[in-house]
Amino acid sequence: MFLFKKLIALFALYVFFGAQLHAQTIDVAGTVTSSEDGVAMPGVSVVAQGTTIGVITNFEGKYSLTVPAGVTKLIFSFVGMKTQEVDIENRTSIDVVLETDVLGLDEVIVTAYGTSKKGAFTGSAEQINSDDFDLRPISNITTAMEGKAAGVFVTAPDGQPGSSQSIRVRGFGSYSASSSPLYVVDGVPFSGTLNTINPADIESMTVLKDASSTALYGNKAANGVVLITTKKGRAGAGRLTVDVSAGITSRAQQEYDRIDAFEYYPIMWEAYRNSLAIPGIDDPADVTAANQQASNNIAGYLGYNPFNVADDQIVLNDGSMNPSAQFKGAYGEDRDWLGGITQQGQRQNYNVNYSGATDKVDYFISVGHLNEKGWIIESDFKRYTGRANVNIQATDWFKTGISIGATQSHGNMAQTGGSSSYVNPIRFTRQMGPIYPIHQLDPATGEYVLDDNGDKQYDIYDNRTSNSSTGRHVIAEIKWDDDIEERTQLMAKTYAEITFLKDFKFTTNLSFDQHFYYNSYYNNKFVGDGAPGGRAYRTSTRRNSANFNQLLNYVKSFGNHNLNILAGHESYSLRFNSLSGGKSEIIADGNTELGNFVTTLDLDSYEDNYTTEGYFARIDYNFNNRFFVTGSYRRDGSSKFFVDNRWGDFYSVGAAWRLEQESFIQGASWIDLLKLRGSYGQVGNDAGIDFYAYQALYGLGWNNQTASGIYQDKLMAAALLWESNNSFDIAVEFGFLNRIFGTLEFYHRISDNLLFEVPLPLSGGIDNQNQNIGTMYNQGIELSISVDIIKTSDFEWNLNANFSTLKNEFTKLPQEEIIDGSKKLMVGHSRYDYWLKEWMGVNPDDGSPLYRADVYSDTDTDILIQGSDTLTTDQNNARYGYFDSAIPGLYGAFTNSFSYKGFSLNFMFTYQVGGKVIDYNYQSIMSSGDYGASKGTDILNRWQAPGDVTDIPRMDVTNTTNSEATSTRWLTDASFINLRQLTFSYTFSQKVTGSWSKGLRIYVSGENLFLKSARKGMNVQQNFSGTTSNVYTPSRIFTIGANVTL
Amino acid sequence: MKNILYKIAILLTVSVLTFSCSEEFLETYPTDGVSSAAVTQTTDNAWAALNGIHRALYVRYEGTQGNGGLGSHYIVVDCMAEDHVVNNEQWYNQVYKWNAHRNATYYYNRFPWRMFYQWISNANTLINGVDEAAGPDDDKAVIKGQALIYRAFSHYEIVQLYAERYRPGGGNTQPGIPYMMENTPEGQPRVSVEDVYTNIHADLDAAIILLDGMPRNNKSHMNVDVARGLKARVLLTQGNYSGAAQWARDARNLAEGSYSLMDSATYYNGFRVNSESEGEYIWASQIINTEQNDKWAAYGAYISRNFSSSAIRGNPRSINSELYNLLSPTDVRTLNYSVDGEHDMLPSDVSLLSSHSRHPYTNQKFISVSSSDSRVDVPHMRLSELYLIEAEAEARLGNDGPAAAALLPMAQARDAQYTLSSNTGQALIDEIMVQRRVELWGEGFRWYDLKRLNEDLVRAGNHDPALADNVMFVAAGGVEWVWLIPQAELDANDAIEQNPLN
Repeated sequence: MFLFKKLIALFALYVFFGAQLHAQTIDVAGTVTSSEDGVAMPGVSVVAQGTTIGVITNFEGKYSLTVPAGVTKLIFSFVGMKTQEVDIENRTSIDVVLETDVLGLDEVIVTAYGTSKKGAFTGSAEQINSDDFDLRPISNITTAMEGKAAGVFVTAPDGQPGSSQSIRVRGFGSYSASSSPLYVVDGVPFSGTLNTINPADIESMTVLKDASSTALYGNKAANGVVLITTKKGRAGAGRLTVDVSAGITSRAQQEYDRIDAFEYYPIMWEAYRNSLAIPGIDDPADVTAANQQASNNIAGYLGYNPFNVADDQIVLNDGSMNPSAQFKGAYGEDRDWLGGITQQGQRQNYNVNYSGATDKVDYFISVGHLNEKGWIIESDFKRYTGRANVNIQATDWFKTGISIGATQSHGNMAQTGGSSSYVNPIRFTRQMGPIYPIHQLDPATGEYVLDDNGDKQYDIYDNRTSNSSTGRHVIAEIKWDDDIEERTQLMAKTYAEITFLKDFKFTTNLSFDQHFYYNSYYNNKFVGDGAPGGRAYRTSTRRNSANFNQLLNYVKSFGNHNLNILAGHESYSLRFNSLSGGKSEIIADGNTELGNFVTTLDLDSYEDNYTTEGYFARIDYNFNNRFFVTGSYRRDGSSKFFVDNRWGDFYSVGAAWRLEQESFIQGASWIDLLKLRGSYGQVGNDAGIDFYAYQALYGLGWNNQTASGIYQDKLMAAALLWESNNSFDIAVEFGFLNRIFGTLEFYHRISDNLLFEVPLPLSGGIDNQNQNIGTMYNQGIELSISVDIIKTSDFEWNLNANFSTLKNEFTKLPQEEIIDGSKKLMVGHSRYDYWLKEWMGVNPDDGSPLYRADVYSDTDTDILIQGSDTLTTDQNNARYGYFDSAIPGLYGAFTNSFSYKGFSLNFMFTYQVGGKVIDYNYQSIMSSGDYGASKGTDILNRWQAPGDVTDIPRMDVTNTTNSEATSTRWLTDASFINLRQLTFSYTFSQKVTGSWSKGLRIYVSGENLFLKSARKGMNVQQNFSGTTSNVYTPSRIFTIGANVTL
Repeated sequence: MKNILYKIAILLTVSVLTFSCSEEFLETYPTDGVSSAAVTQTTDNAWAALNGIHRALYVRYEGTQGNGGLGSHYIVVDCMAEDHVVNNEQWYNQVYKWNAHRNATYYYNRFPWRMFYQWISNANTLINGVDEAAGPDDDKAVIKGQALIYRAFSHYEIVQLYAERYRPGGGNTQPGIPYMMENTPEGQPRVSVEDVYTNIHADLDAAIILLDGMPRNNKSHMNVDVARGLKARVLLTQGNYSGAAQWARDARNLAEGSYSLMDSATYYNGFRVNSESEGEYIWASQIINTEQNDKWAAYGAYISRNFSSSAIRGNPRSINSELYNLLSPTDVRTLNYSVDGEHDMLPSDVSLLSSHSRHPYTNQKFISVSSSDSRVDVPHMRLSELYLIEAEAEARLGNDGPAAAALLPMAQARDAQYTLSSNTGQALIDEIMVQRRVELWGEGFRWYDLKRLNEDLVRAGNHDPALADNVMFVAAGGVEWVWLIPQAELDANDAIEQNPLN
C-alpha cells in the first residue's frame, strides 16, 4: 500500500520538476459548420490533441484557441457527428465541416471516472440516452432500462407507483450477497432510493457490463455498474423547456379466472360430500347419505347463503345447483371485492427546466412534480424534485461546479407490502370466495343493514371462514389504516478541476447525500390488527453518505501514440440511523400520532456505519486510433472485513482493434465498422452482506423484565473477504451498408469466493456463518442489432433488437446440496433450478393426486404401481427431483421506430423464451377444499367419477394437503411477449410554431399494453426466482403530453 | 506566475494522493450488538446472557407468528393430541393434521429443534465460561445452575419429539439427538436415547448442587425447585415411577411453604399475568411489559379467549368434549370452558367482542390482559403437576393408597366436593390421567403423555374430521410419532441420520 502511494508521489514529482515549460504557443480561430445544411454549429468541442486544452464553439459556430507548442492537431467533436482531426500546419485560421456520424462511434459515453468515445472503448457498455425515455410515463429510472440493453434482465414493474424494478446485469453473480448492480450518480456511488431521482433530470444511463469497464469501482462492481448522468446546460442562449403530461393508470394484467357463486356452491358441496363418501367407490347407500348430509350442511361450512332458497336447498342432493336459486337482496351486486379495491388511477407529470451555456458557464436548473395514483385504492406517489447543475470555467486552468438535487416524495402504500399479509389487497380479493358480501347484509333478505345514519356498513365480523379472511376486511382496512412513506433526498456534489502543465488535470470531487425516510403506520381500532384499541408505528431513518475522491489525469500524444493515464484515491462513508416506535390504544379519534396512544409496544434506535477506501489507476493507450489497450487496477478496503483481509486488489485489461481502419479492409466500402474487442478482469463484491460481517456478536435488547439481556447472534468470520468476479468478454462490433449495425458478444463470468451464509448444523445453535465458499459462473451470448429498414429523407423505419442467452451454474458449493425453497443448489445446477416433488397426475379410478413415490414398501396403502412407475398418493412420500429452471433460454426486446416528417412512433416488445414459473398464486386458487376460498375456473375440470381422465384431483376437503402440495404440477411455461411501451409523437415544424418557440412536440405514450403468457393472471416476470406471490400487479399507463422549448 | 500556480497545483495533487485515511477509518462497530468475547468476562455480562435466554422463551422464531417461543411449542404439542380442539382452518392447522412434524422442510418441523438448540448454545457459553468471569462466586453458581437447567430441559423437550420414545426398563439404544455440551460448528452425531437421558440427569444433578439454597430474582429464573421438579418430570417420561414419585414428593416437601395450590376463585379467574404473585407457579415466563411482548406471536395470542387476533376471533381453542364431560359439575375447571361457546360465565372484568366467533367448549382458562394486549404468563411448571406426577407414578407402581393421597390435595383444590378416591388399579390410573389432562390442558403435555405411554391418538367428540384432514386415529408406536429431523440439519450435518420415513 505504502509503495503504491510512493509511486504516485514520485510520478507526480518527476513530472513537476522534470518537465520543461516553454510557452511557444500559436493562436488558432475558425468556424465549424455542418455538412448536412451548411449551418454554423455551436457547442462543438475543439481540443488541442494530446492535451486537455480546448474550447467550445459559440453560437455562431466560431472558436479561437491558444494552442501550446508541440501540438500538431486539433480535434473537433460533437455528439452525433464524426470527429475530425485536423493538422494545424502553422495555420491560424481553420474552418471545419463536420459530417453526420451514423455509427455513433464518436459519441461520448460515460465510463468509470471519465468518458470515452464509443469507437475507442475496449469494454462492454451500453448507454441509454434520454431520448429513449423522456416521453415515457415512468416514475423510476430503472423502468427505462428494461429491454434497452442486451444482457440486462429485469423483473416486472411493481404496480405500486414509484416502485423500482430489480435489475441483473449478465446473470446472477452472487448468492448471499447482493446481485444488484452498483448505481453511480454523476460519479458518486448512490446509496439512496432510486425513486427519488426524477427521470426528466437524467441525460443518460450507461450500463457497464464487463470487468474492463467496471474494475475501477473495485469492491462494488462485481454485478455491473449503472452510471447515471444528470443533464447539463448545452451551449447557446438559455432555453426554457416545459413538459406536461397527464394520463390514466389501470391494471395491466387481469386477474386469474375464478368460478362464480353458482358454480362455487356445488363445487364446495362436492368437496364436502367426497370427504364423506365418493360415488363409484364407496357404498351407494353411504353416498346417498353423504349427498344428503352435504346438501343439509354445506351452507354451514361456507357461512353465507347468498341465494333466495333455504340453506339446505342451495345444492340439491344430486349435487346440482338449485335451478330456482337467485341472489337475494343486494347479494347480486355486493360481492365484487376486486372492484372494491380498484380505482381509476391517474398520472400527472410536470417538468420545467432552464438550461444553457456560455463559454465560461453552463447551467441546468429544473423543477419537477409527479402525482400518480395507482389502480388500487389508497396507493399513490407524489414527488417534488429540484436540481441545479452549474459548471464554471473560472480561469483557463481552473474549473469548478456544483450540483444540487433535492427530492421530496410522499407515497401511500395500500398495505401491499407483505405477500401473505391478511390484508394484502391482491391476496385478499384473489382468494375471496364468490359468495361473500362486502357490506353487512341481512341474512334472511340480503338487504343492506344500515347504520344509524342510513349508511351501508362493512361486514367486518368473523362470519366468513378463515380461508375467506374471517374477521378482516381489506376495503375497510385500506381505507381506515395508514401506511405512508415519505422520503427526502438531498444530494450535493462539488468539484475542483485544475489543468496544468498542458497534459495534466487534477480533479477532486466531494459529495454528500442525505436520505430521510419517514413511515407513518396506523391500524384502525375497528377491524384488523389494530382492533380494538388501534395502534400506530412511526419509523424514521436517516442515511448520510459522503464520498471524496481525487483524480489525476495525464493525456499525451506522441505522433500516432496516444496515452491517457488516470490515478486516483477515493473514500466513502455511510452512516445509517434508525428510530422507531409503536404504541397502541388510541385516545382521541382522528389523531394517529404516538402521543395520542396509551401503551408502548416498541421503541428502538440504532446506528450503522460502513466505510470503504480505494486507490486506483488506469492507463489507456491507442495507436493511430486502430489499436486500443486499457489496463486498470484498484486496491480497495472495506469495513465489512477483518483487518487482515480488508484490502482487495482488482484489475482489468482490455484491447480493441478497429479492423475497418486497416488498409486490407478499407477497400470493402460496404464495411463501415469492424471492431474486435476483448477484456478480462477481476472485480469484487461486498454488497448485501451485514455491515459487520466478520464480527462475532451478541445482540442487544433481549431484556427480560427489567434486567438487560443479550443473545448470541453470530460467529466470528475473520477469514471473510471479497467475493470476486472474474469476467472474460469478447465481442465484435460491426456496421454494414450504412444501415446495419450491431454487436455480437460472448461473456463468461466466474463468481469465485462466493459470499455464502454457509448453513451450519442447527444443533450448533447458530444458523449460518459468513464464508467465502462457492464458485458459480454465468455465461451468455448477447446480440444487439439495429437496422435502418427504410431511410428516406421523409420516412425512416428502424428496427432495434436484442437477444441474450444465459447459462448459470455452480461449480463449487459449501455443502453438497442447499435447498432453498423450490430450488436446490448443487454443483452442475443453476441458482434457479427447481427441486420439486414430481407430480404424476390424477388416478382415474378415484381422483387421487399422484406423485412419484420416494420410498416403497409392500405394506404401504399409499402406493400405486402404474406401468414401470411407482406412485404414491401421499405427498409426504413424493420423490423430489430437478425439473427445469426459472432462467429463460432466451430473452430480450425489439423496438420499432418510425418517423415521417414530424411524426414519430416507437414501440418496444420485451420477450422471454423458455424457463418456468412456479405459479403459487394459481396453486392458491386450486385447492380441492378450503371452504370459503375462491377457485380457479380450471377446477371445473376436476375428477368426478371413476374413469375420468384429468389433471385436477377430486374435490375433497380432507385431502387438500395431498392435492395441493407444492410440486411440478404448478410449473408453468414462463415464455411471454409483452408490448412494454409505445410512444407516438408529433414535432411541429418551426414554420408552425414561429418565433415564439424553439420546439413543440405533443405525444401519447403507454406502458404495459399487452401481455401474452401461458396463463391469464400470472405475473411471469415477478421475480428472478420464478415464483409468484401476491404483489401489486403491474399498471398500464396511458398519458398524453406536450413538450415546449422556449 | 503560471509556474507558481502549477507548482501549487502539483503539490496539492501530491499531498492529496499520498494522503489516505487512517486504518481506523475502516473500523466500524454496531450499536445494537456486543462482542461475543465479552460475554463471559464478567458476571454482569454473564447475567445479561442468561437473561437473554429467559427472554428467548417468548420471542418469535422462524419469522412466523405461530412460532412464538415456548408458549407456541406448548400449543404445538397440545394440539397434536386429542384434548385440544381447533375450530377453524387457521394457524397450527398443519400441526393439527399431523403434517407439519413429518415435513422436514416445514418451519413448524424446524421450530423446536432450532429454538432449543439455540438456547443450548447460549447456555453452553455460560456453563463452559462463567467460572472464569470476574465477579462473585454465588453469581457464577446461580448463572451456571440455570444454564444447566436450560441445557437439560432443552434436550429433554427435543428428544421426545425427534426420537423414538424412551422405553421404560431400558435398552434405549435407538438414536436420540446430539447432546451438545460444547459449542462447535461441526455437525455432531445422534447419541442414543439412553445417553441423552443420562446427560439430562447429569446436568440437572449438577444444577441442583449449584442452586441449592440460592435465591432467585423472580419466577422467570429457575431455582433448585425447578430442577427437582424437572427430575420428576423426566423420570416419569422414562417410566421410572419410583424415581418420579420420590423426586416429585421431594421437590414439593423441600420447598415447603414456598408454593401453594390456587384456590377456586383464582382458578376460575383464569391464567393471566399473575404468576409471580400466585403461589402455584414454580416457573413461568412473565411478560411484564407490552414492549417485550410479541403481540401476535405470544402464547396468549392463540390460547387466550379474549385477545382480538384473527387466530382467536376465528379459531378459539376448545377442550375435547369427551374429556370435558368426564368432569364433575362441581369442578371449578368446568367454568374454564363454555359448553355453548357463549361464555356467559366470564370473570367480571373480561368481555368478548362481537367479532369473537363462538364455538362449543371453547376455553377461558387463559385470559389475556385485554383484547388488545395478548400477554399471558407462560406456565412452565406448576405445583399441581408435582402432585399429578406423584399420583400417577404411585398408581402405576400399584401403590393405590399413596396415589390417591397424592391426588387428593390437588383434586380437592379444584373441586371442593372431591373426596379421597376409592378407585384402584387401572380405574385409579384413569382417574388420575383425566385429572392430569384437564389440569394441564393447553400447557404442552398431552402429546408427550400419549407418546411416553405408547397410547393411540383417538380424536372424537367435537373434533371436525374435515379440519383434521381425517387424522382421527393414529395407532401408537408408528413412525408418525417421531418427528423428522429438520432438513436444514441434515443438509449441514454429515454426522446425522434422518428418522425412518415409513
